[in-house]
Amino acid sequence: MGVLRAGLCPGLTEEVVQLLRGRRIRTVVDLAGADLEQVAQQCGLSYKALVALRRVLLAQFSAFPLNGADLYEELKTSTAILSTGIASLDKLLDAGLYTGELTEIVGAPGSGKTQVCLCVAANVAHSLQQNVLYIDSNGGMTASRLLQLLQARTQDEEKQAEALQRIQVVHAFDIFQMLDVLQDLRGTVVQQVTNHLTRDRSSGRLKPALGRSWSFVPSTRIFLDVTDGARASGSGSQRTACLTKSPRQPTGVQEVVDIGTLGTAEQSPVLQGEQT
Amino acid sequence: MQRDLASFSLSPAIRVKLVSAGFQTAEDLMEVKPCELSREVGISREEALETLQIIRRDCLTHKPKYAGTSESGKKYTALELLEQEHTQGFIITFCSALDNILGGGIPLMKTTEICGVPGVGKTQLCLQLAVDVQIPECFGGVAGEAVFIDTEGSFMVDRVVDLATACIQHLHLIAGTDKEEEHQKALEDFTLENILSHIYYFRCHDYTELLAQVYLLPDFLSDHSKVRLVIIDSIAFPFRHDLDDLSLRTRLLNGLAQQMISLANNHRLAVILTNQMTTKIDKNQALLVPALGESWGHAATIRLIFHWEQKQRCAVLYKSPSQKESTILFQITPQGFRDAVATAASSQTIDSLNFRKRSREPEEES
Repeated sequence: MGVLRAGLCPGLTEEVVQLLRGRRIRTVVDLAGADLEQVAQQCGLSYKALVALRRVLLAQFSAFPLNGADLYEELKTSTAILSTGIASLDKLLDAGLYTGELTEIVGAPGSGKTQVCLCVAANVAHSLQQNVLYIDSNGGMTASRLLQLLQARTQDEEKQAEALQRIQVVHAFDIFQMLDVLQDLRGTVVQQVTNHLTRDRSSGRLKPALGRSWSFVPSTRIFLDVTDGARASGSGSQRTACLTKSPRQPTGVQEVVDIGTLGTAEQSPVLQGEQT
Repeated sequence: MQRDLASFSLSPAIRVKLVSAGFQTAEDLMEVKPCELSREVGISREEALETLQIIRRDCLTHKPKYAGTSESGKKYTALELLEQEHTQGFIITFCSALDNILGGGIPLMKTTEICGVPGVGKTQLCLQLAVDVQIPECFGGVAGEAVFIDTEGSFMVDRVVDLATACIQHLHLIAGTDKEEEHQKALEDFTLENILSHIYYFRCHDYTELLAQVYLLPDFLSDHSKVRLVIIDSIAFPFRHDLDDLSLRTRLLNGLAQQMISLANNHRLAVILTNQMTTKIDKNQALLVPALGESWGHAATIRLIFHWEQKQRCAVLYKSPSQKESTILFQITPQGFRDAVATAASSQTIDSLNFRKRSREPEEES
């Protein structure tokens, strides 16, 4: 962090930088951890000057502390809760998606992850009138399906067009493109991602992809699965959503989501799972 | 702009040298001149210049690196995408039931995967689509060319001749009843030789050749901009034989899937991948599932599974972003891939989850 350059702060001239570099002190971190008495002797610089330099640099580069009360006030004013448009999912998420948080949806192929994303996008753009950025990395974004979802909410074509204009779509099929896109997007937005399912080599059970270290990143995780017996019985669009990680709700709760009638007036029955 | 250097597409050698010189984030590199950088880090002037260009271009101008040819990285509104989708056609399959459940046919700019047991008709559908993609626009086609990458050796030219002849006859019938000028003119170009000469055939014998062929495909497609269909038949075969390292296989397949959807998007074409089936033992029950593993299931945008249902061929739309799951019947005739003729057997209930291998006659069952 912070390569030492002339002019970075008052007192840091080119001469000082070169002398320090000769002693292999290249960054602010190196200077912060160095034994200043030794450095002063070896470089021929004054000890007081080095101490003052270090103090200024540390003040410049360290994070500003915030006390809990201020943080709470800030959160109260800046956090918004966005409803997903699916009543059973909102129940699972404690009223919806929270801004400033990452929600992850995991599921097998065909379990409905893209459908949930499209429904959330349609709801946020139309009912909440907010802008949406949809980053597509596997071709699942179909504008005609989005239009269908909007048509279920409003018959007015102008409103549908307005909502469609609020949704921006970016195709990022490469990890570097995706990082570029995400770089533009910093600040208080809600982030919802989908993840794939893979099989654990030792136990044979299905688990979310990207490994254990990724599982710490999202604050909320929802697992979508095909309801047992749904495909055979003809109600092929029923899915079970299970909350597997949440900072606010008890985990293990399950709800039934019907992806065929997303966002329309039909309500689905509630299933209560056991707490894990 | 505290963006870590590892998130830029720099070569590993340069990245290591930058980190050991103390540069961790993009911010550190913003004010550095190329000659200074090359001196400090120990890389050549050209490399330093390239590195700075990559980092500064991404941070300041947000332009995609391969501007001009690629469409990824550009932002569209959903409304623009909708207009694009309406003007884009579908590739029809000549089986109206299948076209219906797919929403009009095989969509462009998406990857479609066809899974099925041996002999159920995957290659037949691929051959049919290689002919159907060339149907002129006035008849409802996309007037494109096809690339056929064959890894199994199942491409039979005589069969394509049969399918093409049947297609030409069918179109002549339609033109005959309509009697429109443009139909007649379009049909003059739609001859057997033209159809066959617009199917570009590549034969790959193992996965290295397949990967190399896919790597060279963007250049080929830039020279032949009328290609609207790329078929890989099958993608499972080279990866299931002689490849013991399963983690390598997953990495290669994921890379391939990304390249395919990238191609589909940048060159506005449809990609068809054929997959095989394997047996999974689950709770003491043997089920037929698509091969290549769980993570491959996420690779294609649309998944069709073909299977047998008591001497009837069935197609299930297993995964699609815009269509409902459904099952339909089809058949393979001498003229090609067609709708199933309704018989007494097909009116029985279709058990779409019970994938069994080709059913035996009742007397043979033990």
